[in-house]
Amino acid sequence: MTQHSRDMSRRRLLFGGAAVGAGVLLAGCTSNEQTPTEAQTKAADGNANAEPGKQVTIGFSAPAADHGWIAAITNNAKAQAAAYSDVEFKTVEAGADAAAQRAALSTLISQKPDVIVLLPHDGKELNSFGLEAMAAGIPVVNLDRAFPDAKAYRLQIKGDNYGMGVSAATFIAEQLKAKGISNPVIAEIAGMDELELTQERTKGFNDTLAQHGLKVQNRRAARFTADSGQQEASQLLQALPKIDAIWNHDDDQGIGVLAAISQANRSEFFMVGGAGSKKAMEDIQADNTVLKATVTYSPSMASSAISLARLIGQDRGMSDLVELQVPKEIVLASETITKENASNYLKLGF
Amino acid sequence: MTGHDAVSGTDVPPAEATAGDVVLRLTDVVKTFPGVRALDGVQLEVRAGEVHCLLGQNGAGKSTLIKVLAGVHRPDSGHVEWCGEPVGFANPQAAMRSGIATIYQELDLVEDLSVAENVFLGHEPRRLGFIRRGHMAGRTRQILGRLGHAEIPPGRMVRALPAAGKQVVSMARALSHEARLIIMDEPSAVLAHDEVGNLFRIIRELTAQGIAVIYISHRLEEIREIGDRVTVLKDGRTTAANLPARETPTSDLVSRMTGRTIEYVFPDRPAETVVGDELLQVDGLTRAGEFADVSLSVRAGEIVGIAGLVGSGRSEVLETIYGARTAGAGSVRMAGRTLRPGSVGAAVKAGMGMAPEERKSQALLLGEPIYRNVTLATFGRYARFGFTDASRERAEADRIAEDLEMRPRDVRRAVRTLSGGNQQKVVVGRWLLGDTKLLLLDEPTRGVDVGARAELYQVIRQLAAQGVGVLLVSSEVPEVLGLADRVLVMREGRVVRTAPAGELDENTVLDLVMAGSLMEGAPA
Amino acid sequence: MSERPPATTTQLPAQSPPVDPAETEEAGRRTPTATAGASGRLSWWHGDGGEGAKRNLALIGVLLALFVIGAATRSDLYSNPDWVWANMLSILKLASVVGVVTVGMTFVIIGGGIDLSVGAIVALAGVWCTTVATQSFGAGGMIFTAIIVGMAVGLVNGTLIAYGRLVPFIATLAMLVAARGLAAEISQKQTQISQNSTINGIASTDLLGIPLLVYILAAVVAAGWVLLNRTTFGRRTVAVGGNPEAARLAGINVKLHTLLLYVLSGLCCGIAAIMLTAQATSAQAAMANLYELDAIAAVIIGGTLLSGGRGTIIGSLLGVIIFATITNLFAINGLSTEAQNMVKGGIIVAAVLIQQVQFGSLSQFFRRNRLTTS
Repeated sequence: MTQHSRDMSRRRLLFGGAAVGAGVLLAGCTSNEQTPTEAQTKAADGNANAEPGKQVTIGFSAPAADHGWIAAITNNAKAQAAAYSDVEFKTVEAGADAAAQRAALSTLISQKPDVIVLLPHDGKELNSFGLEAMAAGIPVVNLDRAFPDAKAYRLQIKGDNYGMGVSAATFIAEQLKAKGISNPVIAEIAGMDELELTQERTKGFNDTLAQHGLKVQNRRAARFTADSGQQEASQLLQALPKIDAIWNHDDDQGIGVLAAISQANRSEFFMVGGAGSKKAMEDIQADNTVLKATVTYSPSMASSAISLARLIGQDRGMSDLVELQVPKEIVLASETITKENASNYLKLGF
Repeated sequence: MTGHDAVSGTDVPPAEATAGDVVLRLTDVVKTFPGVRALDGVQLEVRAGEVHCLLGQNGAGKSTLIKVLAGVHRPDSGHVEWCGEPVGFANPQAAMRSGIATIYQELDLVEDLSVAENVFLGHEPRRLGFIRRGHMAGRTRQILGRLGHAEIPPGRMVRALPAAGKQVVSMARALSHEARLIIMDEPSAVLAHDEVGNLFRIIRELTAQGIAVIYISHRLEEIREIGDRVTVLKDGRTTAANLPARETPTSDLVSRMTGRTIEYVFPDRPAETVVGDELLQVDGLTRAGEFADVSLSVRAGEIVGIAGLVGSGRSEVLETIYGARTAGAGSVRMAGRTLRPGSVGAAVKAGMGMAPEERKSQALLLGEPIYRNVTLATFGRYARFGFTDASRERAEADRIAEDLEMRPRDVRRAVRTLSGGNQQKVVVGRWLLGDTKLLLLDEPTRGVDVGARAELYQVIRQLAAQGVGVLLVSSEVPEVLGLADRVLVMREGRVVRTAPAGELDENTVLDLVMAGSLMEGAPA
Repeated sequence: MSERPPATTTQLPAQSPPVDPAETEEAGRRTPTATAGASGRLSWWHGDGGEGAKRNLALIGVLLALFVIGAATRSDLYSNPDWVWANMLSILKLASVVGVVTVGMTFVIIGGGIDLSVGAIVALAGVWCTTVATQSFGAGGMIFTAIIVGMAVGLVNGTLIAYGRLVPFIATLAMLVAARGLAAEISQKQTQISQNSTINGIASTDLLGIPLLVYILAAVVAAGWVLLNRTTFGRRTVAVGGNPEAARLAGINVKLHTLLLYVLSGLCCGIAAIMLTAQATSAQAAMANLYELDAIAAVIIGGTLLSGGRGTIIGSLLGVIIFATITNLFAINGLSTEAQNMVKGGIIVAAVLIQQVQFGSLSQFFRRNRLTTS
């Protein structure tokens, strides 16, 4: 009995020591000393608007979603604001959903910023906030997710979800035509299906494929995460023993999709990505995976939004335009990045 | 086991026993469940305005019979005649509507609804879909008044009522249905002593209004006091019907219940009690609000009994000695070594074992097989490198089952399927496996039928003869006096008397446990 | 002797009711000593092992039905035996990660608790083991990190529940939020790519034609089965979950055991984190989304009592495989994820209903009625 308990206490001691050691070791392991993503800032150039103007306070809010693209949006906005000496940047975390974001934003209004730049969780749900801020005399720059009400924003800058689908479908159709494949099997791995942007991307994709007489054979929706991308892709590959082309909506989940493809030893097809992450661009450049292209939906729009918000706050226009004020709506084109032009875009990758 | 000759002993009711008409008559009612014949030809006749007592051991079929009457079960064969009409209730609501109300032992009240809401649960007076609260409260008040309990506010949450109050609410619910027959399943079990009198007063008022009552109880003295006639069930059959409740000799009733003539059968005391070394030494044990300054000792081979009312602190003392509660002050020593307070593990290691008061909730894994319950405290000993040895456990449990005459013997059956007495044997048997030196027994025979009781007494005596010390708590004074060598009497958290069992009798002990004792200040 | 009034007349008032005779009466009656031989043989079927076995047979029946539906709807694919084999392996791979998590969850639930934080632990362990710093220690360092992080989080859960007396639901719900938060903080919301080919190879390696992930699942399930059914740890788990008070009064250290159950669940999450990281060749704070619900659902349809005290590892495994098969079935038919989720919800309800109606024999119904009405 005593022998036993002595063993027990020794075991406990050993375990305790190991636990402490492991704790110390692990604490060191949270470090993520990567080369930081180069922020996609537009450095001051010879442009007249680069001259410091009136001091502007810009309030900023974007969802706390755990996604590389959203993270890049926030980072870009921060970095762009830091590039201007006349901009004070105030950011509020938007929490997990529209209601949380609305609560966070109401604290922002009370701080009376000159302009608010906002990536809403959901444009429809936060429309009323836009109206409220505009009525309070604070111009609102809507990033990416549109408010339905035109009075709710001063400027809307967004990517082109429908256009992504169009670009992806166009690339796929051209490639298949070039290869002379008739009756090709085309698959699609979408992002979160409950989001409107996913629906728009899919619609653009389907519409454009139809113009070429093509259609999607099988479609799975993942959740913008690599593990969900891997799971959905593995099942999709199971469903389609032979595939000619895949469009994957999102390069972040694409990491998992590519993993699934290599785990299944499949390579008879080519794949088009979406959004334009740095990893995807590097893969395209290296040309050693099935990923041959990606269609952009660039988080650089956040940098542009900050720049334009500053101009709005300073009552200035865009210097290349004749108009004295910043326009009301800017839609970024979805560009197709291939091996040929990847090097140009690499600095915009997130 | 065949035919109905067992009923041949049925006494024809004396004409003067009851005056009312027969409201309920059961003839040859049979109800089987897979593997069991729960009712095997039951005869029952209940008259208006009488208290008809149903007597039988655990497993005799009383509960099944109640459920047949309450519409929970439908009989397989036989006739149920209610007010002269053959009936077969499809569900409890149907039985309720025709005027049969059942008050189960665990009162089926909704704790978080008010008294009135409970009384009218399921048949609330409504108008246009809205409950007429005022009307409901008024009628509840009226019914409670009829039961002599006008002081219970209809708006009070049931949770806030004491057990006796809840029982009154259950009865009020029965009356709200205009019940003409109320079945009460062990109603006194949840009541304190003085509340039973009140219950009987209510029952008398009900019967005076022509309502029939079927009264189920284990306690013969209650049956004598409140009952008019008695029907005895055994093994799902009526072994005697309509015996006069007051005049029938106890031995007669017991023999019809058990097939044996036994009362409290205590094994003979050994000619000389071989008392060994001091085993347990408790000094000045105190827990604020529960008990104070309790000192006692148990020697090897000695049975020490603690007598006391609920609330006297007796069970709490036992649990504190065992480490299930942490003592505020005082010490517990086993064979000279002081135990860490509040540690059951330390107590078990030192050789203690306990059979707690509430078998099902405190001692058993009901869905698990018998053998796993028997080895619950010892399976680690049979294990090798952490791997259990089920066959060895079964063998050990088999041995225990054999020794204790457990029924069934098949130790792979779930404990759930055992009767109360056999479940208690499982709990006691658990401690026979280890090197238990001291056994703490809290109400060891509660809910145990007469036959199994005697067997348990025998087991306890044998253990003591083998040198195990026993500390026994019981509400039943004869049990304590009949079994223990030495008796401690507790009142209000203190030991008021310690004496050899031979120096005490029932009346003395009763005087001691009740307030206003003659013996106040007697040497403890 | 019989002249004396019965001794019970001096019974002292008892506040608490005696043991409910209703239940014992039913079954305690006439226990057939005469038929003991027959009942001995049948007791496996009727006894403790039988109920679980019958339930598992029902689950296998569901799997067969799903297979038949698959074969009927995609006869073109199912006509190729190679494809069918590959598809079965793909289903098992899909089930592997949740399966490992579910083994831990089964223990926690049998032990009377619940662990809502498993998905978050997988994410935290996955993120922690794919930081640049951890990856510099190689595959061993990554595996060690994931497992230690999982167990450490389990230790915190267990401590809060066993010694801090928090309700498991609340403690693990808080951990769900906190662990994902920490994961997001560590990863800075980025997807962390695993550069380690050994780790990534876990998901792409086959041994004897069967994926390594399936071996890992099988090993964890086998270990879980042995642990639950053949060890003192398993016995204590059942006791602690079935009746904590009885376990305590029998001398079992209920608190310590409860703590260990959550550590075990954390360990399973750590293993699962490695597997999932290998599959996705990356980790991020949002990974293993809603795995807690998948695992709990699998445990429930596997026949484990949510209140604790009874359950089977095999049933839980079958539950996970059924869900993976449904996902696969919808994928190969090109049906939407929404419909798939609705069917999964339906399956949970149907599985429980079938078990109650078909295999909960009349006597069980009876017993349940007793429990509720008396």
